[in-house]
Amino acid sequence: MERRKALSLLVHGGSATAALVVGIPTLMYAVTPTSRQPSGPLWRDLGPLDSFPIGAYRAAKIQHSLASQAAQAVLSGVYVWRINEQTLVVFSRSCTDLGCPVTFDRRSECFLCPCHGGIFDKHGQRMAGPPDRPLYRYDVRVVDGILQVDLASVPPMV
Amino acid sequence: MAFKRTQAMWEWTKDRFALQRIWQHVLDRRVAKGAWYFGDGATLFLLFCVLLATGAALTLGYTASPDKAYQSVRDISWKASFGWFVRGLHYWSAGLMVVMLCFHLFRQIMVGGYKSPREATWLIGVLLFFGVITMSLLGYVLRWDERGLYGLRVALNIFYRVPWIGESLVYFVQGGREITAVTLSRVYSAHVIFGPLMLIGLVGYHMYLVIVHSITSPTERKQPVRSGTEQRRVYQRDAQSEERGEVFFPETVAKSGLMAAVVLATALALTALYGTARLYPEANLHETSHPAEEWWWSWFSSLAAYLPPWLATPVYVGFPLLLFVCLILLPFVERTPYRGIRNRPFATLGVAACVIALLGLSSLRIASPWTAWPQPTPPPAPDGMQLPPIAEQGRLQFAAFGCNSCHAIDGHGPRVGPDLAKLRRTWSQAELRKFILQPPPDVAMPPYRERMTEQQLDEVVSFVLVVQTARQR
Repeated sequence: MERRKALSLLVHGGSATAALVVGIPTLMYAVTPTSRQPSGPLWRDLGPLDSFPIGAYRAAKIQHSLASQAAQAVLSGVYVWRINEQTLVVFSRSCTDLGCPVTFDRRSECFLCPCHGGIFDKHGQRMAGPPDRPLYRYDVRVVDGILQVDLASVPPMV
Repeated sequence: MAFKRTQAMWEWTKDRFALQRIWQHVLDRRVAKGAWYFGDGATLFLLFCVLLATGAALTLGYTASPDKAYQSVRDISWKASFGWFVRGLHYWSAGLMVVMLCFHLFRQIMVGGYKSPREATWLIGVLLFFGVITMSLLGYVLRWDERGLYGLRVALNIFYRVPWIGESLVYFVQGGREITAVTLSRVYSAHVIFGPLMLIGLVGYHMYLVIVHSITSPTERKQPVRSGTEQRRVYQRDAQSEERGEVFFPETVAKSGLMAAVVLATALALTALYGTARLYPEANLHETSHPAEEWWWSWFSSLAAYLPPWLATPVYVGFPLLLFVCLILLPFVERTPYRGIRNRPFATLGVAACVIALLGLSSLRIASPWTAWPQPTPPPAPDGMQLPPIAEQGRLQFAAFGCNSCHAIDGHGPRVGPDLAKLRRTWSQAELRKFILQPPPDVAMPPYRERMTEQQLDEVVSFVLVVQTARQR
């Protein structure tokens, strides 16, 4: 009986060790993306500043960097509102409810979401529907006449 | 002589492949009779097999890379021979599986199928429920069209709302900062490797437990049964009895197989009728798009649309968690001895309420009265109404200023704002002017104070003044 108990302990311990030795690294590998979150800003081009006329809302597409091109990143769309020469607001097209693509209705000057009734005013403030916060705004800067946005200034799925 | 040899070979096969034991312990055993609707389990098993076969076949032509995925799905659908059939059957079987899964779940709640000694069967079933529901979303992400990509993004936005770990969950699913090739790889691997492997294991175990603990017998459905021990005694008596028991093969198999056959025939008919699932424009996050979920998720969109902002996160995150916890706890909390639909009026009422809610919300989604969207043309004047020139001018302004993105005129247009031909009272010119220039703060309407000229305002107001009388004649 003693021998049997010892053997059983050995078998259980051995199986558990094998499972952990294989399982833990495998699990660590699977969750790599959560620990390797890039810190600091990620500037991406939107286009020449001149292509955004003052006072207008323009739809634009975030441009590929070399890295994102290699990764075949799906590029997000944004709306650029150039308030005056110096001030620009870049709204994400991702509805703050569940991420459906809002459309700027030029005629009513509202952002309309096609999914669950989210409506935002021209400043991105919520007017109707389930969204519990205003539209996401990117940090912006202008380098050599090129308008850039910081991907790290909005949540990762935006 | 030849016959004898064949028989000898058959005996050998039975012995060496141990078929005799399967025959004894699974097929040639007496079981209690079930009702007609007990075929839902067999139906799910058949659909699962169909999904495994068609899904495995689809991987032969699919490329899990963002630049090729969409084209590969097109090629499967319209170039490969019978590709439309394989993909169509996969799609329709998946949809019907979600429906049958709900049927199965609701039916077990009504019958009390989770009661002792079947708690473990139920627990595995709950895991299967969430597994299949997850697969039903992951599957259409792989199409890599707008619908699939926005489906994924809805899921990511729900994950992001999870307290503490939300952002990490998004990184985990996306595989990085953005949606990239890694994201598609992860979804592919989840839908094609991890999901099926786990489901195969769980389905196998679920069915093993169904063989061991069997189904709710006729006597159980009639009289209260207090414990697992009592259930086993009652069950054995039913199984052995002439009128309440039968042999599993072929009687039970044939009966439950009938429902499975009907549902498979439905999937085949839908495939033949509608062909393969529609493909929307290729996945992108920058074009103007009007995406929607697959039909078995419609109820969720209606539910979301009616959430006040403060309830959004609690419902998106809490509802699935609460559902999981409730289903897991159900057999340990609801311990009354009553089984069978007739003895469980409250279960039936609860299920009926759920079904009505699901169907009601789903049908609401067809009209989606909460969706405002730019309309290409001005609304027509109400039937039989001659508009004076200034009001006609106003009708055009009504579109030019996007009033018709939200307002309908006599049923024509979105229903987000009130239909201006069906206002509850007649508005005066002064009231309308004031409202349009600066709507009250609690009204979801943009102010036109700085946008309209005096003349444009007059025109719009005249138009509304005229049409608001349309229903009052």
